Amino acid sequence: MCIKRKLITGLIFTLALCLVLPMQVYAHGARIEYTSSTEIEIVAKYDTGEPMGGAQVMVYAPDNPSTPWLTGVCDDEGRFTFVPDSTKPGTWDVQVRQAGHGDMVHIPVGEGAVVAGSSGGYSVLQIVLMAVCVVWGIAGTALYFSRRRA
Amino acid sequence: MVKASLILGIAILVVVGTVLIGCGGGGTETGTLQFYANGEDFVRQGFVSKDGWSISFDHVYITLADVTAYQTDPPYDPHSDGVIQPEVEIGLDDVYTVDLAEGGEDAPPILVGEVQDAEVGHYNAIYWEMVRASSGPAAGHSIVIIGTAEKGGQVVDFTISIDEECGYSCGEYVGDERKGILQEDGVADLEMTFHFDHIFGDADTPLDDDLNLGAIGFEPFADAAEGEPVDINMTELHLGHVGEGHCYCLCE
Repeated sequence: MCIKRKLITGLIFTLALCLVLPMQVYAHGARIEYTSSTEIEIVAKYDTGEPMGGAQVMVYAPDNPSTPWLTGVCDDEGRFTFVPDSTKPGTWDVQVRQAGHGDMVHIPVGEGAVVAGSSGGYSVLQIVLMAVCVVWGIAGTALYFSRRRA
Repeated sequence: MVKASLILGIAILVVVGTVLIGCGGGGTETGTLQFYANGEDFVRQGFVSKDGWSISFDHVYITLADVTAYQTDPPYDPHSDGVIQPEVEIGLDDVYTVDLAEGGEDAPPILVGEVQDAEVGHYNAIYWEMVRASSGPAAGHSIVIIGTAEKGGQVVDFTISIDEECGYSCGEYVGDERKGILQEDGVADLEMTFHFDHIFGDADTPLDDDLNLGAIGFEPFADAAEGEPVDINMTELHLGHVGEGHCYCLCE
């Protein structure tokens, strides 16, 4: 019984210590803020492995494939970094060109990548209305025949 | 009374369902997609080969078949393999022989054909075959190059005929502007680009550049006039491009 009381006292003390310690750390006034972002780095090289230093870069966002979202140049190592707009999920296209050589890379960003083109399918409203119509039709038909039997 | 209501209800169901199906199935938006072939300034204006021959072209006939555009997601990568898995696909039905040297030095690329009821979207891949022509000035050959070369006072009038047939699977066009983005009732285009500097080499490019290392140059063709055959491997020459973008090439 005595051991049990000591254990409970010890646990309470430990818990109190845990609660106090963070407050002491915070009391020094240090504060760190952070922003989560996904930086994309590309490295452009010729087939020989030579970096495409100074090559022209054009970045296209998923919502506007015709106009570059960002332009720039690769560094001496052929590197180029950018932070895509997180509100524009889908495939980001990056084109790199230099002296008649070029290539394009397609980078999926976020969930639910945007699909190019249109499928010509039904809208959600159309699907719901059609479902209601089908249910109504089946129920009505069933009621009609059940009433005739009665 | 109840029976009349049920009949009315079923009638409304049929009408509404028909209208909804009609709206959903017939809503495909279309535009016009054009296909161009481009031999670039190398063909239109001539150039100096890697071995110093100044070449000008009178005609560059190339015969194209099974020209097809695709919408793919994810985008097709020509570096991976030759299989394009499209969501939308349209193409030209005929076989076309075009002269890439047609027009003056500043002539535009050659319009091969167009599809007027193409579904809108981004056509980000293209496939075509280079085949032997069955008739016309290039009959029996997939490429016929006619022109004049000059080096150190020696002038050679040449006709180069290539019989290999190739299929080119390409991703998106790489150039000054993006191509293949088709909007409703709009016009968009795709380009089949042919890099003839890959055959002859280019004096304006360093001799140790991959392009010149892989190119044949013109000297072997000059010798061919004296009976020396020229061995051409079209798969290795990578003639077909989309702008500056590479293609997966298979020749036979």
